Amino acid sequence: MSKSNDDNKPISARKFMKYFRSYQNGSISRRHFLGVTGLGTAMTVMGTAVPSLWSGKAHAFGDLGDRLVFSTWPNYQNQVNLDEFTELTGVNIQVNAFGSNEEMLAKLQAGGTGWDVFVPTNYTISNYVELDLIQELDLSRIPNYDPAANNPKFAGPAMVNGKVYCVPKNWGTTGFIVNTKKIKSSPRSWKDFFDVTMGKGSGHTILHDYQLTTIGAALCALGYSFNSIDPKELAEAEDLLIKSKPHLFAITSDYQPGMRSGDAWMSICWNGDGTQLNRDLPEMAYVIASDGGEIWTDFYAIPKDAPHLDAAYAFINFMQDPYVQARDAAVHGYAPTDSRAIALQPDSLATDPILHPAADLMNGLEFGAAQTLTDANRAEVMARFKSA
Amino acid sequence: MGADSKTNRWLTAALLTPTSLWFLFLLILPLIVILVFSFGERAAVGGYAGGFTLEHYANLPSRLKAFQNTLIIAPVGTLLALLVAYPLAYYLAVRVSRRYKLILLVLVIVPFWTSLLVRTYAWIFILGGRGIPTLLEFIGIEGVRLINTPGAVLVGIVYGYLPLMVFPIFVSLEKLDKSLLEASSDLGGSPYKTFTQITLPLSMPGVATGCMLVFILLMGEFLIPAFLGGGKVFFIGNALVDLFLQSRNWPFGAAVSVTLVVIMLITVTLYMRMTLRGNTGRDESLM
Repeated sequence: MSKSNDDNKPISARKFMKYFRSYQNGSISRRHFLGVTGLGTAMTVMGTAVPSLWSGKAHAFGDLGDRLVFSTWPNYQNQVNLDEFTELTGVNIQVNAFGSNEEMLAKLQAGGTGWDVFVPTNYTISNYVELDLIQELDLSRIPNYDPAANNPKFAGPAMVNGKVYCVPKNWGTTGFIVNTKKIKSSPRSWKDFFDVTMGKGSGHTILHDYQLTTIGAALCALGYSFNSIDPKELAEAEDLLIKSKPHLFAITSDYQPGMRSGDAWMSICWNGDGTQLNRDLPEMAYVIASDGGEIWTDFYAIPKDAPHLDAAYAFINFMQDPYVQARDAAVHGYAPTDSRAIALQPDSLATDPILHPAADLMNGLEFGAAQTLTDANRAEVMARFKSA
Repeated sequence: MGADSKTNRWLTAALLTPTSLWFLFLLILPLIVILVFSFGERAAVGGYAGGFTLEHYANLPSRLKAFQNTLIIAPVGTLLALLVAYPLAYYLAVRVSRRYKLILLVLVIVPFWTSLLVRTYAWIFILGGRGIPTLLEFIGIEGVRLINTPGAVLVGIVYGYLPLMVFPIFVSLEKLDKSLLEASSDLGGSPYKTFTQITLPLSMPGVATGCMLVFILLMGEFLIPAFLGGGKVFFIGNALVDLFLQSRNWPFGAAVSVTLVVIMLITVTLYMRMTLRGNTGRDESLM
């Protein structure tokens, strides 16, 4: 690339990051940020890394169609990224938000979802492959994905039988959030969590509407594995859950409104939501339970019958761009798995103890196990607990 | 003459065909599928696998609480909606001048232009800790919990279903012959007597229709209890959502659905018997 070409760039990557940091720490507004960096910027910055989007033809994006259906989780993407993808490609993104992997699986099993890209969690991938519901990915169409930059601990589940079915999005932990103004006893474990729920904090706890985390929490409190499918252990967990039910504020995966309004004092919590809550309300403390819990990775995957395949690849490739990843994480708080993206994050995020906990804190955490997704008993325990 | 009736018959058949096909393919056949599924097995990874078992019907007691909640809160909600809707419908039909009637009617419909989901979600914040309870604290009433209680679900029900109740009652009151009211007062009937002897009986068809509409829909409701009951006030509709979307136990979900349909058939038949008998009784007395 010649020098004059470089000078023609509307903005350098370094400058982009300067504005990006200013935008993040609030010294410039989003409008200003978009104004100075803008569309041309993004295209330039991406252009260096997204050759497939720049394959010469002026109307290269025309081939992508005008629609993409993206199924993901609540509070999990930066709207600026989605808008920018639409501006770049003319592809409008329809976002569906889900509360559990089971719900995603149920929709895909029923068929005809019309989804192009969705965000499954590590433990579901092998099930999806077995059920023939997702596609093997052609990594040559996702040049922004750099396997070397991704810790194999997190990226591992993407590979099933030697084939790659997805690329990582973010990783995190499942612990709980405590409003320390209301609960002074500083609970440290799931056992404490349920004790407080049925004691001083009665009426103010939220459990997820999600079998993996809610049953998992109860199992850990009883000293069992987060992933247990042992009928006897599950029966004990069901007892604990049903005993705690009268003391709950709610059973919902949408726990931020309850925590923010002060109605709920404690909730099972994903760590990115923990940063979101803690950012606005310092009394919100995120706890990785000492008696276990979950560590997880979310991925981008393409369903077998995705109607807009080209757009799906372009979108995943766009979202794998380190800048785009960093900008995504700036909003939702979850840590990228990609070291290139972490390098672009401001120190406040890159070293945040909620997002990057000390290794010894995570010793007791388990990745969700594939059998928990399909185990009939686990599903029924959850359903019985909810209708009890 | 013969040709005429033949044409008529063809015309009738042609006009009824779309509805019949609709009923056949979108009501009868799916119901048969549900019935068949309810005797099948849950496939290993969820969904349906063939077979014949009664275990799903035997497992129904595990959802007893959900049936109870629905069978208590749905009728109470219907009654509350009626109590709120009747005065409103009466006011709109009898008291309001022609000029404002249309505007006020449109105002009753306007909420329908926004999704029920969004409107119900808004109630989470109104009933939540920073909403009405905070206002109550200002006047010294502390520690009130509204959200995630049966009361909150009832508020949501009355709010969401009010228009469905208002309109049938409005229509029957609108048709009411005003001279009957004049006759009543001319003959010395007190306003109370006029209402109980004339207005109320003549508006009964609207009341019956409104109650039926609201009650039937409430029996399958899941959104309002999920949002305003916080998963703690659990309807049979929520149990069904769970069985199909979370635990993917289609056969058990089908068995619960069949049971719900049977309960509905029985209640609605009883209800229609009662209201029909009531109506004929009054018709005679009016004669």
